[in-house]
Amino acid sequence: MTGMNHIAILPILIPMAAMVFNLLVGDGRSNRRIIGINIGFSVLLLLVSILLLTVLAQSSTAAAAVYPLGNWPVPFGIVLVADRLAAVMVLTTSILSLAALIFASARWHSRGTNFFPLFHALVMGLNGAFLTGDLFNLFVFFELLLAASYGLALHGGGRNRVRAAMHYIVINLVASFLFLIGVALIYGTTGTLNMADIARAVPNIAADDLGLFEAGVAVLGIAFLIKAGSWPLHFWLPNTYSSAAPPVAALFAIMTKVGFYAILRLWTLVFANQTGPELVFGQNVLFVLGIATVAYGSVGALSSKALDRLASYLILVSAGTLLLAVAYNVPGVTTGALYYVVVATLAAGALFLLKDVIDQVLPAEAQILAVSLEFYGDEEDVIDEDQEVSRSFPAAATLLGWCFAIAAIVMAGLPPLSGFLSKFAMLSAAFGAANAPTAATWWLTGALIVSGLFVLIAMVRNGINIFWTSLPDDGGLSLRPLEIGPIMVLLALCVLMAVFAGPALSYFADTAAFIHAPQNYIDLVLPKGDAS
Amino acid sequence: MELTLAIAIGILSASGVYLLLRPRTFQVIIGLSLVSYAVNLFILSMGRLRMDAAPILSGADANIADYADPVPQALVLTAIVIGFAMTALFLVVLLAARGLSGSDHVDGKGD
Amino acid sequence: MFVLAAPGEKYRGAAWVTAVVAAILSLLSLALFPSIANGEVLISRIEWVPQLGLNLTLRLDGLAWLFAVLITCIGFLVVLYARYYMSPKDPIARFHALLLAFMGAMLGLVMSGNIIQLAIFWELTSLVSFLLIGYWYHRGDARDGARMALIITGTGGLALFVSMLIIGRIVGSYELDDVLASGSLIVESPLYPVALILFLLGAFTKSAQFPFQFWLPNAMTAPTPVSAYLHSATMVKAGVFILTRFWPVMHDHQLWFWIVTYTGLATLIFGAYTALFQRDLKGLLAYSTISHLGLITTLLGMGTPLAAVAAIFHIANHATFKASLFMAVGIIDHETGTRDVRKLSGLRKYMPFTATLAIIASAAMAGVPLLNGFLSKEMFFTETAEFDPNVFVNLSLPIGATLAGMLSVAYSIKFVHGVFFGPPPTQLEKVPHEPPALMRRPIEILVLICLAVGIIPGITIAPYLAAAVHSVLGAETPYYSLSVWHGFNLPLIMSIIAMVGGAVIYVPYYRKLRDIDGVPLTRGLVGQRVFERILVTATNRWARHLVGAFGTQRLQPQIFVVIFLALAAGIAAGWTRMGNLPLPDSFDPVLGLVWLLGGISAIAAAQQAKFHRLASMILMGGAGLATCLTFAWFSAPDLALTQLLAEIATTVLILLGLRWLPKRSPVPEGTPWAARLRRYRDVSLAGLVGLATALASYAVMTRSAPEGISDFFLANAYKEGGGTNVVNVMLVDFRGFDTMGEITVLGVVALTVFGLLRRFRPASDSVERPEQQRVLDDYAPGSGDSVADDFLRIPALIMNWMFPVVVVVAIYMLMRGHDLPGGGFIAGIIMSLAFILQYLAGGTRWVEERLRILPLLWIGWGLLLALLTGLGAMVLGAPFLTSAFAYADIPLIGKVPMATALIFDLGVFALVVGATVLMLIALAHQSIRRPKVAGSNKPKQRAGLDKWN
Repeated sequence: MTGMNHIAILPILIPMAAMVFNLLVGDGRSNRRIIGINIGFSVLLLLVSILLLTVLAQSSTAAAAVYPLGNWPVPFGIVLVADRLAAVMVLTTSILSLAALIFASARWHSRGTNFFPLFHALVMGLNGAFLTGDLFNLFVFFELLLAASYGLALHGGGRNRVRAAMHYIVINLVASFLFLIGVALIYGTTGTLNMADIARAVPNIAADDLGLFEAGVAVLGIAFLIKAGSWPLHFWLPNTYSSAAPPVAALFAIMTKVGFYAILRLWTLVFANQTGPELVFGQNVLFVLGIATVAYGSVGALSSKALDRLASYLILVSAGTLLLAVAYNVPGVTTGALYYVVVATLAAGALFLLKDVIDQVLPAEAQILAVSLEFYGDEEDVIDEDQEVSRSFPAAATLLGWCFAIAAIVMAGLPPLSGFLSKFAMLSAAFGAANAPTAATWWLTGALIVSGLFVLIAMVRNGINIFWTSLPDDGGLSLRPLEIGPIMVLLALCVLMAVFAGPALSYFADTAAFIHAPQNYIDLVLPKGDAS
Repeated sequence: MELTLAIAIGILSASGVYLLLRPRTFQVIIGLSLVSYAVNLFILSMGRLRMDAAPILSGADANIADYADPVPQALVLTAIVIGFAMTALFLVVLLAARGLSGSDHVDGKGD
Repeated sequence: MFVLAAPGEKYRGAAWVTAVVAAILSLLSLALFPSIANGEVLISRIEWVPQLGLNLTLRLDGLAWLFAVLITCIGFLVVLYARYYMSPKDPIARFHALLLAFMGAMLGLVMSGNIIQLAIFWELTSLVSFLLIGYWYHRGDARDGARMALIITGTGGLALFVSMLIIGRIVGSYELDDVLASGSLIVESPLYPVALILFLLGAFTKSAQFPFQFWLPNAMTAPTPVSAYLHSATMVKAGVFILTRFWPVMHDHQLWFWIVTYTGLATLIFGAYTALFQRDLKGLLAYSTISHLGLITTLLGMGTPLAAVAAIFHIANHATFKASLFMAVGIIDHETGTRDVRKLSGLRKYMPFTATLAIIASAAMAGVPLLNGFLSKEMFFTETAEFDPNVFVNLSLPIGATLAGMLSVAYSIKFVHGVFFGPPPTQLEKVPHEPPALMRRPIEILVLICLAVGIIPGITIAPYLAAAVHSVLGAETPYYSLSVWHGFNLPLIMSIIAMVGGAVIYVPYYRKLRDIDGVPLTRGLVGQRVFERILVTATNRWARHLVGAFGTQRLQPQIFVVIFLALAAGIAAGWTRMGNLPLPDSFDPVLGLVWLLGGISAIAAAQQAKFHRLASMILMGGAGLATCLTFAWFSAPDLALTQLLAEIATTVLILLGLRWLPKRSPVPEGTPWAARLRRYRDVSLAGLVGLATALASYAVMTRSAPEGISDFFLANAYKEGGGTNVVNVMLVDFRGFDTMGEITVLGVVALTVFGLLRRFRPASDSVERPEQQRVLDDYAPGSGDSVADDFLRIPALIMNWMFPVVVVVAIYMLMRGHDLPGGGFIAGIIMSLAFILQYLAGGTRWVEERLRILPLLWIGWGLLLALLTGLGAMVLGAPFLTSAFAYADIPLIGKVPMATALIFDLGVFALVVGATVLMLIALAHQSIRRPKVAGSNKPKQRAGLDKWN
């Protein structure tokens, strides 16, 4: 498929070009033209990723674009592998980034220096991490997206941002060291860095070195779990996300998914030709961590008063859900999980953006939720005639209400929207499995359902507080189209995902099948007889 | 000499980790540097130790067996650069935090 | 039909649009009767998620039809009624839109032929009802009622969803047809208990069965039309609907009998009992609804076909009379302005028509003969009176039924007598009068139905009931008679007892009953408050405590956890199969000495870092130096060089930053034991980490290298890559992509640093100038910054001369990089060090005035070069970053490899220079802000920075 090879690298080059453009031409200034060109880059990226996805979707299920950089033979050079999974993640990234960028171009880009280059750098890092097929190159792109995210997390400055960012930075620097140690151990025992080649080499590892190899994998796993936001490695996350500038936080919504992606990819690859106690052990650990993360996230969602904090706890809930799905290690469940990744990411992003818009229209004092009102108030509500007339809802507020409702329904996984469908897909696959229902099935079910309930309660509480008690009465709410537009688009996508769940899920089913049969991946990347 | 290097790595990482766990930002940054030394040496050690075998080829017809494994060196180079960048970044962040919170405690608490 | 109904939001029109839609729907559903009359089933299926067996299946059989008719017809009447009830000031469009949406959801629920789809519509009804109940959302009680309804029924819905999943698992399909055809499969499955419990949880919450009944009275804060609709015909009926729907495949089990029957009975009695003590008319009706739902549930629980018939019959009856009663109460409320029994009395004189209607309807509610309520109640009594071998059952059912009968008679009388009879009302703001005739029409129609069914059931209801019953019971449909007179038998006696007893309960105490406040005996058990408390406490207080307990905001614990887990994971995974470790074979004294010093300085650095920053930094440098030596030692010259330079650059940076940190001097007194304990803990963790890393590296080093990729690079570096320095060739060619990413990181970091320092605010205590300089100022007052220069004249001169030299060295390093140690990064650092020297010598101002380079542009150009090198290859059709090379002979320097990689390396060089200089300058620049920081010097600092921005 030489035709599409170059497509495989464009998602990395386009943001890089955008970055260069901003440094050379944009240099700090941000007039309409510059902004327009930046958005143009993002749109271009979106188009390319759509193209990539469609090309893959039309070709056979085992297809993927393998792109050897510098034209060096695999596994010696670095290789990009754009398979269905990568394509989905890249597409999600570009959708989310476009929305966030447009949103930011309304106000936020001017709250600090060099917003656009940092933004594109983050996108470049994300896409690179999704596309690369080389372990160390993955590290480089992780560093890139982290560096950019540090810059963006600090965007706008202020005491809280700086403190949260400092914690974020330290934790992730430690994570990077762990990453390096893991990579080093894997190289030391397998002698290669290419993921497929590692997978191929695993069976040939000397018996004595197995321990070292698995130690490396485990340390690497911890590094990924930190990125994926797993309990108890994620305490930095709520602070960082809720204190970051809204468009930035929206884009961050996909960063935890990078961890998930890395775990899923390496898990299925490295343990491909392997079964036995280590696998089971790792699976159980992952599962327990997933449960803990979901529990902590949903309880945190209940405990949080402000919407942005709630949103960042929702990020944790979805992170935990994904961990559970990976640990469950059944293609059907993975299918649902992939569907869930896309939906949850888009919805969470929309929620972060929505929070900013709501803040603009809300009276300041109403922004924290008065539980006491819920507890004591309302008795003194006397019902007299003129009170039995509902206030007429200003149109803008109605719009916001709808957006909020959709986001809430998706996040809580209530019917009939895509959040529900993803959970249904996971659960029915879990129940449909041969020896189901096992204890794991019940745990999974409980986690998904109960977390959904908690999220529902939290969202209802926030929604009532925002829209029913504290929204100003006058119809004159003013919304910037540049800001409400992206939100609506993101949520509309969530709805569309529900309407066209059939085709979407079948695509994800192929993806999951491909992931769970890693030999395809290995054969694809390493042509036969080309073993190092 | 393997043992020496191993111990060296151990000491570096130990003292680095200890500093990472300290409450003062300056301690943390020193710790980061120490740990990064340890990690770099660790990576290097993955290529096994060779003396006087720098991977500088003596021409086209060189016998590969005479040279050290270049891969870890390349990795370490990248790691050094990134480490340098990150140290610089953290330094500035801690200065900013210090400026904003008036304290050099990692949690921005007053002394 | 579904297509018409479900997306009700579309009809955002005024009342009449809704009315038309509702009318069309009801006519449609009525018209559909012939096609299902004799037992066949209409099915239309739209594929949604076929691979998961989730389709939009519309399935219309007798039962579904009966419900569809109830939903649409009563919906239509409610809309008419609302037209007059709702105040013109209300946003009527929203009301009607929601009402239609709800109608659609209910229709979808009763007509769904796919059990997952059923669960979906189930939740939809909960969601829409939330909005309907909270329609007057400015009222606190409305908000609470709505939230409570949503949370309770929503929870039930989730439970139902899971049970549907389990049933689907058992049956192997989510299609209702397959489920209904599965016979005793479900009951016999080991999963039955779980499925049943969850299933009932869903049904009971929705149908407000004990102990979930309390949301319903609170939902009465909704506008009366909503109550009339939701709580007579639709929402609460959904629960009993699915009980009926799944009755054939689930009822045949002891568990079902005991749970369902007795929950129903409890609800029946509790509801009736509580209703008796309500002051608010709507409250009274709400509790009576609860009790009637309990009655239906009991019937379904008993599991005999006849009971099922009775249940279905009573569902229809209850819908009719309860809807009319709600509307009547609405009228009273509307005309008198209150629903409080104590204020109302003697309204018969003011609104005779309404009074008559209400009286008939409540008579039906009480089960007076010649009304529909009587028939189904008779059937109920008959069933309860059936002999059962179990003595308890045999006694409890009939007695409970009769008791409930009495109570319901009593509260019916209370309703009628209290409101319409007695002296004229005194405490009303306005004089009540008949409502507009059209507002009464719906009630009239409904009451008419009550009468018709009650008197001539055989003609009116029989065929429809037959169809519904048959769709549920199929072959085992029993013989049943709808005739009014069954002869003088036990059920009749029970009815009579109920009638008389009811009167006996009411008459003597009616004043007390009217004025009594709250419910005796059960006053303590107010579901709402309990729920509120749980909701607030559990979901908020406890939540916050939990988050506090299992999370932390502080950094140190987080790092500790991270490192600890990493260590644990590594050991857990690796320990068992470490393999054996050989003893060291060789020892090198020099290296040993180097590391003796290196190790000591590392530990010392760790120990000094708190109080003597400068010292610990120098010590750290010592450790770094040892590292460099080691690199050189083990044949990694590039690493040695790079490490050294990076070391220097870092040191300079930290030195520049050091002065902004607060002064700290050792505290003389001993540290508290807690702190000391923590320190021990950290030391031990650190020690373990050190041990682990040492072991791992030692193990690896003493093993033979695996068959890896490294030979390839050695073999091809020269032939293919055109360079003899393999490492450099790897960096710019084999793994050039890594380098590209790496320099991007560097650039990004530089941007971040720049952005941060731009809004840098030094802390107050480090604002004033260090005393060394103050001392100097005393000698040369007023000459400002340059004073220090006087003492650095000579070195400054030397450094100025050195500048070009250093630059040349840098370029040389760059050129030769491909073949000998060197390369873009090294050259870049050297270059930027040249600038630093200028700073040290000339002072910030001096350099910034003469500065020739614009770091941001350098960064940009660096990236651009790297990018272009790659793209160039792409233009030629080869993959990104493919390199080509040739050798060019340049005088003085000699043979220089002109690989495209060199251009790439040039990019690296440019970027490194740009980034490093940017960081250094940005940091150094802070020093000249120092004197003015106290004041606001924003514009000035801008000017300073923008020069090289």
